[in-house]
Amino acid sequence: MAGAAAAAALLLVLGVLLGTHWGSSRDVPAAGSVDAGFALDMQAHHRQAVEMSTLVLDRTDDEAVRTLARDIQLTQQQQTGQMYAWLEQWGLGQGRTEPVMAWMADAGEHAGHEMGMDMADVPEGRLGSVADMPGMATVEQMDALRGADGELAERVFLQLMATHHVAGVEMAEVAAERAEDPDVRHLAQAMAQGQEAEIAVLEDLLAERGGPVAEL
Amino acid sequence: MAHSNPTSRAERTARAAELRERQRRRERRQRALVVGVTAGVVVALVAAVTGVLVLTREERAAERAALEAPVDGVQTFEDLGRDHTTGSVEYAETPPVGGDHSPAWWNCGVYAEPVVDENAVHSLEHGAVWITYDPALPAEQVDQLAAAAAPYDYTLLSPYEGLPSPVVLSAWGVQLPLQDAADERVAPFLAQYVQGDQTPEPGAACTGGVS
Repeated sequence: MAGAAAAAALLLVLGVLLGTHWGSSRDVPAAGSVDAGFALDMQAHHRQAVEMSTLVLDRTDDEAVRTLARDIQLTQQQQTGQMYAWLEQWGLGQGRTEPVMAWMADAGEHAGHEMGMDMADVPEGRLGSVADMPGMATVEQMDALRGADGELAERVFLQLMATHHVAGVEMAEVAAERAEDPDVRHLAQAMAQGQEAEIAVLEDLLAERGGPVAEL
Repeated sequence: MAHSNPTSRAERTARAAELRERQRRRERRQRALVVGVTAGVVVALVAAVTGVLVLTREERAAERAALEAPVDGVQTFEDLGRDHTTGSVEYAETPPVGGDHSPAWWNCGVYAEPVVDENAVHSLEHGAVWITYDPALPAEQVDQLAAAAAPYDYTLLSPYEGLPSPVVLSAWGVQLPLQDAADERVAPFLAQYVQGDQTPEPGAACTGGVS
């Protein structure tokens, strides 16, 4: 009797799981998956890194900084294209049906607030804000980069990009661990490793140029 | 010495058997009770968890469906020019939804002052949604529009003189005039047209231009 009840309960649970996780989706990641959230949010995160790199390239002749900026700019622009294409292939497009960073909401210490989310002055809507993603430079910080030149521009860039990369690595690590699609896990892992290595370079170059800008 | 009394022995045996039987029945009842209650609790728990799962899933699905459903009132425009020009352009729509435009796109973001049509049209070509509002729109509604735009980095928000309605949402080749920023169609329009299928140049940037 207990066996029969347990078997019935098990069947019920299996049925629900099949219904929620299999029956509703195709064989590609669905809206609300870690894969889809990562592909959308990391694109926006990357696009700001590309923007910062583009800005510093126009503001310094320093070959070491320019080479690093070009590396980040070209790598992240290409990776953005990969993530864009995944979403198109999965039939999801680039629109939002889930809040920004929701795919990391239950990732424990990785979650946004523990990462020191930078609350912008934009009012919070139901779907959140890309400006509030961890590691994103604020409007004021981007303006500081736009308004700087030469070594000051290099320092602002190196400092903002180091912060940006630290958060980028945490996001990529969660996706590398939790995404269902092996291609997503693979690229996320590569991002985590690549950006981790770049953080050391960013910090070295920053130290050689007088360290962080206090008023930033 | 034992007085062997066949009657009383038979009685005792029968009584013992009856006691054993009663004991057995009691145990069976208890076992049945324990099994029954346990099974009941398990089934109730499973039912509760199932209910929550199904409800949450249905709520999420309903929210998602609302964002993905076709948006009422969207006007579409075809045969839009795509040439670059440094001159000013006469656009048929207010604000423009496409056509010839400046070589430089206007950087996506939130602007308190009007932006330049010829640059903004180039941003539409790159997949931006341009949210325009009458300069007289109450600040609270402007905030609502900013909150609606915040989940995206491919939006332009700016005041616009002479709009046909207090709020107008535009993407390349599509437009939605609205009376109020709280209109429920704002979020679905953004979800469907920010870097949507109508974008002539998917993947092109909305930073690194002018502002």
